[in-house]
Amino acid sequence: MDKGFTPRITALLCQWCSYTGADLAGTSRLQYPTSIIAMKVMCSSRVDPVLLLKAYLSGSGGVLLAGCHPGDCHYEVGNYHTRRRFAILKAIFDTLGLESARLKLSWISASEGPKFAQVANEYTDEIKKMGENPSKKKMFL
Amino acid sequence: MQGASLKVVDGIKSVVRDFLRKALESEAADAVLVPVRTPAKDSYAWILTNDQAVLDEAGPLAPTMPVQGAKALKSLTRKGQGTARVIAVMRPCEVRAAVELSKLNQVHLDNIILLSYDCTGAVPLQDYVGDPAGSEERFDSMLEARKTEESAVKPVCGICVDFSLVDSDIHLGLIGLAGESALLIPNSEKGAALLEAMGIACEEDTSGWMQAVSGLKAEREDKRSKALAETGASLQGFDGLHAAFADCVGCHNCQSACPICYCRQCYFDSEVARRDPAALLDTAIARGGIAFPGDRVMFHTGRMAHMSLSCVSCGQCSDACPVSIPVADIFSYMADLTQATFEYAAGRDDGEPLPLRQYREDEVEKVHEIVKGAEEEEVAHE
Ligand code: SF4
Ligand code: SF4
Ligand code: FES
Repeated sequence: MDKGFTPRITALLCQWCSYTGADLAGTSRLQYPTSIIAMKVMCSSRVDPVLLLKAYLSGSGGVLLAGCHPGDCHYEVGNYHTRRRFAILKAIFDTLGLESARLKLSWISASEGPKFAQVANEYTDEIKKMGENPSKKKMFL
Repeated sequence: MQGASLKVVDGIKSVVRDFLRKALESEAADAVLVPVRTPAKDSYAWILTNDQAVLDEAGPLAPTMPVQGAKALKSLTRKGQGTARVIAVMRPCEVRAAVELSKLNQVHLDNIILLSYDCTGAVPLQDYVGDPAGSEERFDSMLEARKTEESAVKPVCGICVDFSLVDSDIHLGLIGLAGESALLIPNSEKGAALLEAMGIACEEDTSGWMQAVSGLKAEREDKRSKALAETGASLQGFDGLHAAFADCVGCHNCQSACPICYCRQCYFDSEVARRDPAALLDTAIARGGIAFPGDRVMFHTGRMAHMSLSCVSCGQCSDACPVSIPVADIFSYMADLTQATFEYAAGRDDGEPLPLRQYREDEVEKVHEIVKGAEEEEVAHE
């Protein structure tokens, strides 16, 4: 595989935990790859599964959704709902033979800069191994 | 479970008509919601009426379902329950859709008495419109024989497992009973109160009917899982999905005919769902071309994510599709799967909360399994 291939990973991060965690990774000068395109959302539960689907079908190598740890959501229960919605989307992917490994859910708190960097690095490696998202070459989607 | 034994003299439809007439006469109900043949005689419409003359014209069991009954109920009760007590005569899948919609506060069932029956299936709308007289005949013969003829009904009806008693208030049992008998079974307090008000005593044993129903159910379950597995096998990957929806013209009729899709504006019809024209050329160049209408796979898979948990396999989407895509088979395949993930069944019980409206800290096994990565990280973090 092409060594120079850098995937694009759409990362939707809740502003109270995961986005702050990503910020912390930055201010702590932890290295994480440029593949991560971070977007701030109010809460992981704000993300309709269709938005993840859209990122995937638009050619994102990976789609990362991250929020506060279960029990710690700023809106108390948002991420419990996220978990269920995410499970549905994953199940749909698996059922349809789409690559569900391109969808990732993670819980990263505001103080977990190192964990953010670690997830970003590991996920990027995983997506690199998978190669390009095949939807990138599909005319008829 | 006990019921009232009814004598079928002049066909099953007239048994239902007589019952409704009595309910209105005795003022146990204020109105009925029934399918009535349209003046041109080539379709049916839902009519809300308390007029005996209209009732005489009513189906009241219709061979085909141009509009899903739950949608008619939604128009009637979307602002809350009215004061009128209305008996709605619906197929089991229409009852289940109504139950789903009531969980979503789109339908209010407090003053509605759902009357359902052992359903032998619905004739596809196109077939009915093409040959109304023949379809009437075929439907009547199925109904009286109490037996589904697969070639005459929608494909999803042939593999339907919820053809009998669902979460209705009163059920008309037919399957497995001799030609001249039927059972009127109260299935809720409301239903029992109505029968009591009408002076109908329920002392008949229903076990014979129940046995016949579960026998057919087992047969259907087998048939359903085989048929849907086949549907699923043809859907695999982008290529399978593309093949399934290659002819889709993007009309979104499937969504507007669906009783479950209740949003006033669907995300997929909204401005944000449209692609930026300026970016389309770039996408076309990157992909070697881009098809219009686009985003069909996104529409269908997105709709699966939004509503498959409540899909009742009524087949309205297939009926509505101008290019004969078996949308209902595809959605039923997905629905059986997503619903099983949460140990849920759409419309089974109005007391069972919608899976996306609740959560468990300690999730059901399958959900855990699916979000495993995140859960493992969580454990590591502790
Ligand atoms: S998706 Fe199709 S089969 Fe399922 S509830 Fe909607 S119209 Fe009925
Ligand atoms: S009704 Fe048929 S053609 Fe129209 S959007 Fe649905 S699948 Fe596509
Ligand atoms: S605010 Fe972080 S997941 Fe809800």
